[in-house]
Amino acid sequence: MTSVFDTHWDAIVIGAGMGGGTLGRALAEAGQKVLFVEKGAPGLRSERNGLTEVFVPEARAARGLWPDPLHVSLDGVQTSFFAPLGSGPGGSSVFYAATLERPERHDLDDLPGQPHPTGGWPVGFDEMAPWYDRAALQFRVHGTPDPLSPEAPMPLEIPPPLREAEAALTDSLRAAGLHPYRTHTGIANVEGCENCLGRKCPKVCKMDGRSAGVEPALASGNAHLLTGANVIRLHTQGNRITSAEVRIDGEIRHLRADRFILAAGALHSPRLLLASASEDWPQGLANRSGCVGANLMLHVDERFALWPKRGTPDSGATKAISFRDFYHREDMRLGSVQAMGIRASYGELVHFLNRMFDLRGQSHLRTLSRPMAAVAQVFLGHAHLFVGLMEDFPYAQNRVLFDPTHPDKLSVTYTLSDELRTRRRAFRKALRRGLRGHRHMFLSMTPELNWGHPCGTLRFGHDPATSVTDAGGRAHDLANLWVADASFMPTSMGVNPSLTIAANALRVADQILKDRT
Amino acid sequence: MTQITPQDGFAVVTGAGSGLGRALAQQLCAQGFTVVGTGRRAEALEETAALCGGRFDAVPLDVSDFDAVTTGFAEMTGRHGPLALLINNAAVYPKRDMLEETPDRFWHSMKINLGGVYACSWAALQDMAPRGKGRILNVASYADIAPLPASAAYSVSKGAQRILTRALIADLFDRFPGIVISDWLPGALATGMGIPDGLPPDVAAKWGVKLALMRDAGLNGTTFERDMELLPPRGLKSKLKDALLLRRPKPRRL
Repeated sequence: MTSVFDTHWDAIVIGAGMGGGTLGRALAEAGQKVLFVEKGAPGLRSERNGLTEVFVPEARAARGLWPDPLHVSLDGVQTSFFAPLGSGPGGSSVFYAATLERPERHDLDDLPGQPHPTGGWPVGFDEMAPWYDRAALQFRVHGTPDPLSPEAPMPLEIPPPLREAEAALTDSLRAAGLHPYRTHTGIANVEGCENCLGRKCPKVCKMDGRSAGVEPALASGNAHLLTGANVIRLHTQGNRITSAEVRIDGEIRHLRADRFILAAGALHSPRLLLASASEDWPQGLANRSGCVGANLMLHVDERFALWPKRGTPDSGATKAISFRDFYHREDMRLGSVQAMGIRASYGELVHFLNRMFDLRGQSHLRTLSRPMAAVAQVFLGHAHLFVGLMEDFPYAQNRVLFDPTHPDKLSVTYTLSDELRTRRRAFRKALRRGLRGHRHMFLSMTPELNWGHPCGTLRFGHDPATSVTDAGGRAHDLANLWVADASFMPTSMGVNPSLTIAANALRVADQILKDRT
Repeated sequence: MTQITPQDGFAVVTGAGSGLGRALAQQLCAQGFTVVGTGRRAEALEETAALCGGRFDAVPLDVSDFDAVTTGFAEMTGRHGPLALLINNAAVYPKRDMLEETPDRFWHSMKINLGGVYACSWAALQDMAPRGKGRILNVASYADIAPLPASAAYSVSKGAQRILTRALIADLFDRFPGIVISDWLPGALATGMGIPDGLPPDVAAKWGVKLALMRDAGLNGTTFERDMELLPPRGLKSKLKDALLLRRPKPRRL
């Protein structure tokens, strides 16, 4: 067999996460010769670790985590921490809680009474719907339809029966006038499923970029996975990419293909394009619009504890319940609400408080985290933790930074807008009103950004002056470069990004297959 | 409680040609396990085999020969299937005054007592990690706490071995909670390496085997002395908290 470096591939997929894994599988199953180029280690399927604060880069890499901290300038305050980012087959998705929710029509379309912040996605809700359906089938999504939605639901498998406490909570939310439904979750019901939320699992029930992407792609016989390979630069000739320069085992090598698909995640994909600046492309590749790395969006997490009614049996943490009663309120784009599937454990609280202090540049207050957590745990012990995911809007100045003197440094700048603070207040007010009758408590004082949901940094659009790729996912400026991760989203929506990443990756794969001549 | 049974796979006992290792092998065989016993002296292993019956596989092996360990373990798993349990028991205790010791001989003892534990654990983990299941019990000693005279190589190597247990757990526990690694101090035994009025090795081996066959994630990183858990030393703050909450940490007993 010729080596991966001598092979001319049909497609090279950079990053084997949710987007890359899904797209690579679709191409491989259509007969394309696909090479996944993954920075992370292959890992063992028997691993069960979750995220960790361990700071030794090699130890993080061995656990399938991004080895280096994310440097953030937040409202001008410099801080750095380990974002919940994976690195390895499946990317961040092997750690996710498998929440796979479809957005609302107004997330994609410009509607009367619900104007879209960017005038609408270049691909509307109706055009995306069949791709959501396909993704839902591929990721074995179970759940029940949102009773508030006028849309035809996507195909959902039957969820496992509710436990007593979950049923009681659903009933009491309903009695308060809310419309709870079973969270749309990509976990196949296999025997002995461990509900491995937030960590890797040896079983194949959790459908992620690895189990529903990379692994089936490799099983097709048409794909190959190259791990430990850091793509440092893309080389071009005219308007085509000719090779990807990678560092592997300390050596510089080149990989060649007809097409290159960027799926390294919204924080990394734009960095690679900026790092590939050349005489022909002085602003970086595919960056005539200046949008590469710009418009970084994250969700604002509004976490709250909700106590079940007195006398409700305690059957552990739940992630079974979601509701969209506050998704769009008083002409404002807010977001969906879902149970988090975790308890307010001491460790969780310490982690949460540490992060909160760090992000405000008050790391010296970390000493307070432990006693505060100990007190909070007593109060919160039996509460269910919920999170409202509030949409974040695109702003050009919120962006991924690239410093040629430190090309590997992961760095962003972000400013909280007044408009975001206003919507957050409205979201909290709406939640407070809606939860009347339920004992509840908000768990954050200031807006908490979700660093696991970055998107928007290579947005797609019809106009080459304001977007990086066209509606089909191909770069406006380059004939054989495509984008298939969360970077493509012009807006962040009010739901978790994973299903949208997968649906779009399937759609882009279809465009690539049609483009083949 | 997760208990290891012969259906989970075979066991390896290093240093099975005499003393505690022989007693451990005998009792594991008696419980139905296939046991691979390693040691440097083939004839001593044959004696152990005669005491153990048909389920004992004698594999002459010097744990300080790392290449031999690697190939030896690969052959064992090829022959017997999954490796359920490794007891790192092999050790030497050369009693030599510092001025009579040589750097080479000192280093050779390190290579057996520390290097051998690393090499055997490494080789065992090649089989255990992909399955996410396994048990490693390290026979340990107090020798590092107050080194006796004429015991530098033993004290240093056995102390380092206990650090190795903790280091392995730091690397493995969060990824493979089904692989359980812990230390066991059998106490002074009436063996060639021990003292004349020590505990008979077959008495100590009863505890060792019982502990070795327990695969609860909660045993990771614990130290048992004879049949009782040794709790980690508690700081002033924890002691104060315990006193306030009228709590007394209770060691586990075999």
